[in-house]
Amino acid sequence: MRRAIFSIFSVCLCSLFAQRNLIPTDSPAVEAGRQIYMGACSGCHGATGEGSQGPSLLSGRASRLPDRTLLNSIQNGLPGTSMPNFPMGSEKINQVAAFVRSLTAPAITTQPAGDVERGKRYFFGAGKCSTCHMILGQGGHPGPDLSNIGSERTSGQILESIMKPSARIAEGYRGVVAALKSGPTIQGVAKNHNNYSVQILDKDGRLHLLNREEIAKLELMDASLMPSTSDAAEARHLVAFLARQSTRMKEGALSK
Amino acid sequence: MRFALVFCIPLFAAAQVTPEAIANSPNAEWLTYHGDYSARRHSSLKQITPDNAKSLVAKWVFHIDGAKKLEASPIVHRGLMYISNTNEIYALDARNGRKVWHYSAKNAKGTRVNRGSAILGDKVYFVTADCHLIALNRSTGNLIFDVTYASFDAGYTTSIAPLAIRNGILVGVAGGGSGQRGFVAALHPDTGKEVWRFWTVPGKGEIGSETWGGFPAEMGGAPTWTTGSYDPQLNLVYWPTGNPWPDFYGGRRPGDNLYSDCVLALDAATGKLKWHFQFTPHDVWDWDANENPVLLDAVFRGKPRKLLVQANRNGFYYILDRETGEFLHAKPFVTKLDWTSGLDDRGRPKVIPEKIPTPAGTKVCPSVRGASNWMSPSYNPATGLFYVVALEQCDMIVASAKEPVASSGFRGTGNEGIPTEPGRFFLRALDVLNGEIKWQYPMPGPGVMWAGTVSTAGGVVFTGDDDGNLVAVDAKTGKDLWHFSTGHSLFASPVTYMLDGKQYVTIAAESDVFTFGLFQGN
Repeated sequence: MRRAIFSIFSVCLCSLFAQRNLIPTDSPAVEAGRQIYMGACSGCHGATGEGSQGPSLLSGRASRLPDRTLLNSIQNGLPGTSMPNFPMGSEKINQVAAFVRSLTAPAITTQPAGDVERGKRYFFGAGKCSTCHMILGQGGHPGPDLSNIGSERTSGQILESIMKPSARIAEGYRGVVAALKSGPTIQGVAKNHNNYSVQILDKDGRLHLLNREEIAKLELMDASLMPSTSDAAEARHLVAFLARQSTRMKEGALSK
Repeated sequence: MRFALVFCIPLFAAAQVTPEAIANSPNAEWLTYHGDYSARRHSSLKQITPDNAKSLVAKWVFHIDGAKKLEASPIVHRGLMYISNTNEIYALDARNGRKVWHYSAKNAKGTRVNRGSAILGDKVYFVTADCHLIALNRSTGNLIFDVTYASFDAGYTTSIAPLAIRNGILVGVAGGGSGQRGFVAALHPDTGKEVWRFWTVPGKGEIGSETWGGFPAEMGGAPTWTTGSYDPQLNLVYWPTGNPWPDFYGGRRPGDNLYSDCVLALDAATGKLKWHFQFTPHDVWDWDANENPVLLDAVFRGKPRKLLVQANRNGFYYILDRETGEFLHAKPFVTKLDWTSGLDDRGRPKVIPEKIPTPAGTKVCPSVRGASNWMSPSYNPATGLFYVVALEQCDMIVASAKEPVASSGFRGTGNEGIPTEPGRFFLRALDVLNGEIKWQYPMPGPGVMWAGTVSTAGGVVFTGDDDGNLVAVDAKTGKDLWHFSTGHSLFASPVTYMLDGKQYVTIAAESDVFTFGLFQGN
């Protein structure tokens, strides 16, 4: 009986693997898919897959469909829903799927174009990114650690954070100013806060664990503390550099 | 990427954690898995006493989303509590349980539980199930390094809380049940690079290899899955090892199988073996010796001694001289013990041949889970008592002579409980110098718990029980003082700390971290 279950499990596992890698990942396919998507799909799913009338393609079930299911959904639609069929031929179906996949692919897997070394110089130099961000212990506080950002974000999300830092502020990085009843004012990011306490990380990497009764005035900011950049060229190189920050991909180099 | 704001001078200065501070804990803080280097788990805190323990109330609960079986002892330093789960760690505000940061090794392989973290300097360290040591900045959770110290693909995995000493972060591996070769390694605190490694199964031709009858060292087991202790004055690390593999069939590994089921005294600077003591030579009952090696100094039989004591899974409480490894004394701490007629004057057991597992099955006491296990004991120097959770149980063990294949699930066959003889847990207080049971606290329940203890100078011992309660008992008498039902089964040991003049007690329970303190109105 155990062997039978194992065999069934093995078949399922093999089927699962067999469904993978049906969708191209090359840049021309992704770009061709993007053009089709903008005409046929973005009206319901949003220009970046964020969803509007249709579900988000960035999170939830729609972001986790196996290759075969995704391809079938585009080609045949989903009966009983607003998702129509798109009888455009398998090559175009594959291209659309390639673009959809790229919306959620970690940056380390897409290897976006750009001068990685130039991006690194900008990060640690003129861009002053390392004043507030760290990579493997190099850099400053209190911005998010970027050691593994290539595995945690898509290239598009990284670019958005650079160009429009206030569009999305990561949990625990909202700017805060706390004027204490005892006199001093503490500025940094609110790692957490509620009606009873606030935990603030300042630019020197020091934590202030405060009860609200110690605070005369607490101001939480809606805009990111990070300034935006309008230099698209430098941003492109910076994305190329940050996209390659992935700790587990580097484990060989980091090990003894 | 500049901050436009001008920041003021911070009030809360991050302090460096030194080996000296760890050696002098636990006081207001809890700085290692064991509380300190000695593994006594005895806190100097006195606010909670037998008289006021009945006023303990819940202060906060922190839920870890997705956690199923928290087994960690948290660490508390400068107002932050570090609590780990499989492949992740949280820093909490220890006064109120609010999350300060969270680090998740999302791409880690393996799902083994995690038993805790270590701190040193400005870093906190923990391991992932696939044998990576991860170092984070203590205040921010920023990654400093992530290094591999054993190959998950080769079958290694781990659950250990590292031990931080001056020149290394000490780590170990699981594998006693799957045929890997155990080791203890010291990794550099700043880089993660290996400083030394001690293999717990000697290589071909090395001293001790003659105790395996030619069985391949690569499959020998003797894992190192629990946290050792450390004597800074002697500069010796004491690390316990687990069973030889295959667990229940020893026919292909004739001999004592060094250094399985041992405590090893290793030079902290070099990792070289100074001495070893083997509790269960040629183990065929899966009685890992990974129980905490507890260090204490006392006058023993009229002579001041540096002692190491352990309540071993095989049912005996041992007293050793930790300078030399000399066996001094042993006494059973459970009544269900039938595998030996006693120990000789060097501590070697006289095994009863009929208790060696056979293909037909052999009833053996203690059970495979052991008379105790990795649940933490504690020792109070004021009472002279050693507090240990003991399990009275026997098992049927079946042995098989199948050809062993590593990482195949094969363990030499296995064990099962005896339905008519369910196990029963007790908290027992042993006279630390002779192992006599001074009192015991019975723990009715389903027989599933793995919770340990913490002792306090206030005269209260806290323990988890077999019914999901955190319990406070009088350290001198074992009298029940207070309990709180967590609604979970308990697989962790409690800790205690003090902040803003208030003593707290914390225990992790399945998916939640519970913290208690005395009722103080608002």
